[in-house]
This record gives sequence, C-alpha cells and structure tokens, in this order.
Amino acid sequence: MTRLRPAAAAAPALGVALAFVPLVAPHNITVLNLGFFTFLYVAQGLAWNILGGFAGYVSFGYAAFFGLGAYTTALLWLHGWTPVLTFPLAGLCAAAFSLVVGVPTLRLIGPYFSIATIGVGEAMRILMLNLDNITGGASGLNLPTTVPSKGWFYIASLVLAAIAYATASWVRTSRLGLGLAALRMDLDAAETLGVRTALFKNVAHVISAFLVGVCGGLFAMYFQYLHPDNVFSFTESISLVLIALIGGLGTIWGPILGAAVFFAVQDYLQTSYPTFHLLVYGVLLIVILLFEPRGLAGLAARLAGRRRAPAPVALAPPAPGTVAPPSTPGGGS
Amino acid sequence: MFTAQNLISICITSILTAGLYAIMSYGLAIIYGVMKVINLSNAGFLMLGAFMTQVYSQTWHLDPIAGAFLNMPLFFLAGWAVYVTLVRRVRQALPIASLLMLFGLWLVLQNVALTVWGSEDQSIITRYTYKALSFFDYRIAVTRLVVFVVALAVMAILHVVLNHTYVGKALRATVQDPQAALLAGIDTERISALAFGIGTAFAGFAGGLMTLLFSFTPDFGAPFQLKSFTIIVLGGLENLAGVTIGAAILAFAESFAVLFMRASLQNVVAYALLVIALIVMPGGVASLFGRRS
Repeated sequence: MTRLRPAAAAAPALGVALAFVPLVAPHNITVLNLGFFTFLYVAQGLAWNILGGFAGYVSFGYAAFFGLGAYTTALLWLHGWTPVLTFPLAGLCAAAFSLVVGVPTLRLIGPYFSIATIGVGEAMRILMLNLDNITGGASGLNLPTTVPSKGWFYIASLVLAAIAYATASWVRTSRLGLGLAALRMDLDAAETLGVRTALFKNVAHVISAFLVGVCGGLFAMYFQYLHPDNVFSFTESISLVLIALIGGLGTIWGPILGAAVFFAVQDYLQTSYPTFHLLVYGVLLIVILLFEPRGLAGLAARLAGRRRAPAPVALAPPAPGTVAPPSTPGGGS
Repeated sequence: MFTAQNLISICITSILTAGLYAIMSYGLAIIYGVMKVINLSNAGFLMLGAFMTQVYSQTWHLDPIAGAFLNMPLFFLAGWAVYVTLVRRVRQALPIASLLMLFGLWLVLQNVALTVWGSEDQSIITRYTYKALSFFDYRIAVTRLVVFVVALAVMAILHVVLNHTYVGKALRATVQDPQAALLAGIDTERISALAFGIGTAFAGFAGGLMTLLFSFTPDFGAPFQLKSFTIIVLGGLENLAGVTIGAAILAFAESFAVLFMRASLQNVVAYALLVIALIVMPGGVASLFGRRS
C-alpha cells in the first residue's frame, strides 16, 4: 500500500456517512427515493465506465443488461424465489448476454462498436416487447407488492454502489486495468506488447454487465412493475453514457459526481419539464467535450488547483506521430 | 401468400421505400465520406425537417414537397454552422469525441423540439394524402410515388453536381484521399464544412418528405437513424453510389421479412443487418463480390 490519498479515503467515508441517513430520517420518502436512484446509477455509471472509460469502448446498449437483470429477478420472484437471492443470477444472465454481444462486436473499433451497440440495444427492446408470453409484452409485468421499506432499498442500493466502487477501483489498478488503459491509447501497440486485447475487452464488458444486471434486479424489486419500453429503453442506455461522460470518463469519481448531478438536475426539473434534464445534459456534454474532456472530475481537480500531470483521457487527441485512427470498422483484430 | 401478385406488389413497395431510404441516408454518407465523422445528429435534423415543414404548412399553407425544398438552404446553413462551431474543434481528437458531441447535439435538438411542440403525434394531411393510383391490379399511394420521384430527381441532380462541377469533384477527391486532395490544392477544411452543410440539408429535405408518409414526434428520427447506418454500412461506408444499393437491400429485406414474422418485429431486421454487416463485411456488400485481399 502506498500512502492513502485524501481522495481515496473520501469515498468510503462518504459512503459510511450516507448509510446513516435512513436512521436519521426513516420517513423522509423523497430523500430516500432520491438516494436510491442516485446510488443505483452511481453503481451503473461506475460499471459502465469499466468498459467505456477505462477501455474507451463507448456502449449505447447497456439497457439490454439492465433489462435482462430486471426480468431475471422478476420472473424468478414470480416463481417463488426470494428476490435478493436472484440478484447474482440477474447479474449472471446479463454477463452471459454481454459475452454473446461482446465477442463479435468488441472486434470493431471505437465508433463502430458504439453504433453496433445502439442496434443491439434497440433490437433487444423490440424483441422483449414481442415475447409477450415471457415478458408480458406491451402490457407489462406486475410483481408482488410485499417489499421491504424505502430505507432498506436505500441501503441496498448504497451497498451496490460501494461494491461497484470497489470493483472499479480494483480493476483500475490491476493488470486488467493497465491492459485496458494500454489498449485504449493504442490497440496495435498494446497487442504487440502482449496484451491480450480481445480477452481484456470482453472481461471488462462481462464485469460491467454483471454489475448492471444486478442493478436491474434491484430496480425490478423496487419498482414492482416492469415494461420493456421502460427497462430496455434507449434513455436508460444513454443515462449511463451521460453520467460517466459528464462526470469524467475513465475516472473513479466521475460517475459518482455525474450521477449525483444527473439526479439533482432531473429531480429539480422533473415536475415542470419531464425531459428537460436531457436538454441540460446535451448542452453539458457538448461544453465538456469542447473545454474539459475530463468532465466534472477534471473540472474539480482543476479548481482544486492540483498541479499533477494530466491523466491520459480517452478523448484526448493522440500524441503527434501516433497512427491515425483507421477508417474501416474491423481494425486491429 | 406467395402468389405472383403478392410478390410483385411487395417489390413495388420495396422500390418505393428504397427511394426514401436512399435520400435519408445520403447526408450521413457524405459527411462520413468526407470527414469520417458519424453524424448522430442526423436523426435530430431529420425530425426538425419534419417539424419545420409542418410549420410552413400551417403558416403559409405550403405543400410538404415545397417545404422540403425550402428546408434545404436553411439546413445547409445550420449544418455549416454546426461544423464550424462544434465539429471542427473536436476533429483532432479521437473519432469517438465527434460522435459523442453530435450525440449531445441530437439530445439538444430533440428536447428543444419537445419543449416547443410537445410529445403528441403530428401529421400533415394534403389533398392527395389518401389518393391512390391503379396500375392493372396494383394500387399505389400517390404520396409514396411522389416521394419516390422527388427523391430520385434530387439524387440525379446531386449526381450531376458531384461529377461535373469543381466543388463536386473536390468533394469526391476528399472522400477518396484527404491527404492527396490537400496536396492537390483543395481546401479540405472548406469542403468539410460544405459536406456537413449538404449532409444536413439532405436530412432536412428527407425529414420534409417524410411528413407525407408518417406521423412524427420529437423522437421521430431515431429508428430512421439506425436504418441509415445499416444502409451506409451495407453500401460500403465511403462509397456514395453504395447508398442506393444499401437502401434497396434494406427495403427488400424489410418488406419480405413481413411475410415470415410479425410486422412489429420489422425494425429488428434493420438492426440485425446493421450488426451483421458491421462485423462480417466492413467493406459493404460490394466487397463480397470484389477481389478478396
């Protein structure tokens, strides 16, 4: 262990502090709900960031994992399982699907992977809408209403966020994370140096899909009603992209800040303009790409005046002299 | 089900649809060809084109076809401005940066439209909306025919411009090899702005034409956006002539798929084709017939 930096200690401290909220305000439904959703999306943003940020493969298709997790929990619950025990299976189901999708599509380079994931995500939504004997189709699926208190959900979602935080932090400093960083900066060079890029990308995809699948399971238990247009929606997919990007792509604090701001803005604007937060986020996205590719986390670091060498960012221009991005989809495999 | 009459009628539908698909994908192909930027905001401009056409129709009783043509210069300027203010500044970064920025622009356009026009379905009814022509045993909706003919005419004009004017030749040269074009004295920066303008103009134009065929909401562009991707990937990405081939393949695949599966699954055909085409034939359909390297 190197010396513990303040930033590394801040997250666990914040997590512990937030865990006391249900004790202090057990009946403040607004706060507990806001907390539940924020933590659920902190967890998903952190998970998305493992592939999207660390490896630079921006996926617009994570609603498929969220939805599969949600339906796994829902269907097993309806068959008499205890919902909490189905969470690992929800994760596994999403992880298995991520392999099916990832093995072929992760061979595509950056932007083409993104486009392919939009196709996969939308295809899943339409398929689920049409599998009405399994998913209830367009009329949706009603789930049992015997659920724990809001405080329980708040804590459960906080625990998930903590697990996602631990996983992302571990991945980042592990061999896997270093390999992902290498292949993000230069796929061919990483390959030449012996990084098993195809394996690494898929492992990152599977880990993040597993976490998002578990989040889907918890969401199903919380919401008690599932509809394919809801859990498989494109909006769900882009929420994760926006949370990670606005927060700071490839950072640990980014998705945490991103989700907090996302839900604060959404909550503030929800009543008057139901989708206005997406407009705000579209503008923020453009501004961030123009001026601060490291997102809110980068901005915070800049304001704190830390004079570290800037961390390599997924969106930063390649250093002069490196290879130009290839223009055909199937590069590097 | 498989009577000759049925098949002919499906073929007619496919060809008419292919015309629309080609015109809505051309803009995407030009922008991609010139600057290798995937224009996710295309869907937003398609939607905006539809809404603007409705605005003309309501205020000046302008026919949607005329409205679509009126969109062209306006959207050209908008596209030019988007290139100069936004896209140009991230072109030095990785390709994903421009994709994400244009995705942000799409979100903005979509939600501005939602704020201005609300989320209800809109449609434009003209005198000929419910008319149909009869050829022998086949009936063809006038709107589909009109859209097809207009789309074909505009593509013919574009073809002439691309092949017989300096600007057109410079644009095609930039598609083929930006470095060589620059060395030959072509101002590729200007050509890029021009291409973005033309691409956006096509999106506005196609959006205008689509008001004749579909009802629309601020979410209108997304499925067509994915179909456009399928088309340009099938057509070979950098090959402008390939757009028509891609459009025809998708239109036929969709029309015939309805014989075998639920109509509500029709869009899955396009999305599945997109993923398969990206993975199996990055050079487009033409590469399957050409020499394998």
